[in-house]
Amino acid sequence: MAASTSESDLNTQVPSSNETEQPQIQAIRMPSMEEIRAQEVWNNCAVRSVASGVMGGGLGFMMGMFLGALDNPMMQEQMSGKQQLIYNLKQMGTRSWSSAKTFAVMGVVFSAVECVVEKARAKHDTTNTVVAGCVTGGTMSAKAGPKAACVGCVGFAAFSVAIEKFFDRHT
Amino acid sequence: MAANIPAGIDKEQAFGMAETEMEYRVELFNRLAQTCFNKCVDKRYKEAELNMGENSCIDRCVSKYWQVNSMIGQMLSAGGRPPM
Repeated sequence: MAASTSESDLNTQVPSSNETEQPQIQAIRMPSMEEIRAQEVWNNCAVRSVASGVMGGGLGFMMGMFLGALDNPMMQEQMSGKQQLIYNLKQMGTRSWSSAKTFAVMGVVFSAVECVVEKARAKHDTTNTVVAGCVTGGTMSAKAGPKAACVGCVGFAAFSVAIEKFFDRHT
Repeated sequence: MAANIPAGIDKEQAFGMAETEMEYRVELFNRLAQTCFNKCVDKRYKEAELNMGENSCIDRCVSKYWQVNSMIGQMLSAGGRPPM
């Protein structure tokens, strides 16, 4: 026990030794190296940001398709029904692709910044979310000038904090 | 630390030294785990897994604890008495 003084032992359970002779209580099982490595994969900032980008892309794709399907007023009378359908599908496709790209970039930037900030501060706080939201909002609105970047920063940071509080409301 | 048992020490003494060494190691491990857990892990447990901030904190805590421990051990074993 004393030989393995690496920090990997602290990963899952604090050794409050509960090993009694009763058959109901199981002995505390330290994680093996494979389990530790599998958990450590998600501590990598690159892996997390890529996964978040993929999820954001999927979400953006779904949302774009949904909104693209709803919004089709350009029905020209010259086209037949099938042509109208193909045209609508193409419009849905382009719209959902652009939406997917936007959301994917948003996801990657937010996740990467939050991961880096949290690793640097070594604390799990809402400050990480605020900084990540500000950077994400700022970079997404940076094309419209510095004032729009500030507004985007504040707005997205507030939105991120609200979402995080919503997801943690039971604790 | 006590890898080479000097000649002239019988089995009883070696056993005693090994026992002391073992107690020292156990105490070190327990204190290290306790200190870093109290320092790094927030007491309001929101989830079962360690998040990244806590992981990073524990990495740093263990590394610093180990460094300080070995440094002080070297100073004590070299000097004989703490330089005060």
